[in-house]
Amino acid sequence: MTAFELIQQELTQILIEKGAIAPVVSHDTVLLDGPLDIDSLDLATLVVMLEEKTGKTPFAQGFVLFHTAGELAVLFGAERPGE
Amino acid sequence: MPKLMHQRFELIGRQTLTADALEPKAGVIDVAAEGSRGVVGGLLAAEAGDGAVLLRDPASAPPTDIAPGSVWLQTSGTTGTPKWSGHAMADLKARIKPGKGERARWLLTFHPAAFAGVQVILSAMRGGHALVAPRPNATVTDMARAAVETAVTHISGTPTFWRAFLMALGDRPLDLRGVTLGGEAADQALLDALKVRFPKAALRHIYATTEAGTVFSVSDGRAGFPRNWLYEPLNGLKLTLSDHDTLRVENPRASAQARAGVWDTGDVVELAGDRVLFRGRADSMVNVGGVKVFPETVEAHILASPRVREARVTAKASPITGAILVADIVLKPLAGDDAVKVQDEIRAHIAQLPRAQRPASLRFVEAIATGATGKKVRV
Repeated sequence: MTAFELIQQELTQILIEKGAIAPVVSHDTVLLDGPLDIDSLDLATLVVMLEEKTGKTPFAQGFVLFHTAGELAVLFGAERPGE
Repeated sequence: MPKLMHQRFELIGRQTLTADALEPKAGVIDVAAEGSRGVVGGLLAAEAGDGAVLLRDPASAPPTDIAPGSVWLQTSGTTGTPKWSGHAMADLKARIKPGKGERARWLLTFHPAAFAGVQVILSAMRGGHALVAPRPNATVTDMARAAVETAVTHISGTPTFWRAFLMALGDRPLDLRGVTLGGEAADQALLDALKVRFPKAALRHIYATTEAGTVFSVSDGRAGFPRNWLYEPLNGLKLTLSDHDTLRVENPRASAQARAGVWDTGDVVELAGDRVLFRGRADSMVNVGGVKVFPETVEAHILASPRVREARVTAKASPITGAILVADIVLKPLAGDDAVKVQDEIRAHIAQLPRAQRPASLRFVEAIATGATGKKVRV
């Protein structure tokens, strides 16, 4: 599974658990203040899930700016074997 | 024989030693080598006017300027280099009650040279009780076995110890008369479980600080302590609240260590009806997206689930919310229940918490590490 597919899967899970509508997530989908019914706590939860499932900690050295699902996927996808 | 020790005192370890076999021992005592016997010797020496240094960890050099009649204890060093603190023997034994009548068998669950361990040893020495001292670094499973084999009647331990002990003990017979908790805040779920498992035991939880010693002991089986204990004289002390809702201990007879006689314990409390409840350590508080959150409060909520044996909640840095909580959870034996169903129950239980308190991830693990103090290791 690519980092982007993992983001799609985890976002859908978070939205279902909230009882929110889970729209299709594309690379350009803005994560906060966009079409998704998620807030900063949901996004923080998503990052924890991604860190645990990929073993990567792209924010360990400090905050890296990202807006879209695609940008977040790049942070978690870099140097993943098999992609 | 010094009056500190009752002649009926007995030390049950690898071999049983009676009171007349135990001698004062002044100076530096290597507790790793000499165990509880060395600690008893040091306490007797301090009682006789010598100084005793109870060495646990050679990482910090023993103090050299030892006042007569003092005992020096070392912190466990789980959070840095071990620190030394000196105690006058008179202070150490001030709140130890010799006990009356029935002879008890105490199980030593703490390190013998830890402050709490010394308190248990002193209680047994003064009261003429038997002290069951497991070998150094004994596991909770070892302690459960020792407790059953020697038919102990009294145990004092941290809440973390007690959860593991209940699990390790299973349904083997053990008729405890005294169950004491200390060192961490006792949660209601654990107090209830202990009441059911040891119905004849006097159940109490103790609040103590290294600086002020034992401040109070609660024996009504409810978490926290009565609200009307605040701002009133209590065991020669007075409890007040700081502007940051931390509990302060005011000591009119302050020693030099408690500056100006007011000590901020760093334990954050909240008032709930007729009760004062512990929320967590001020220094463990984290800010999750602007909301102040105590990992200990979340732990207590998770532990209230009948499915959960032990839980540890920690904070991790989050690029979005500053910090976010994650939880490690040890389940009780499933007894044929479906693991996925049980985990879903726990998720639903956690969903009752305010959002900022909900751990972002739950890891279901076999065990949670404890430090040399018997408290949970907080990463």
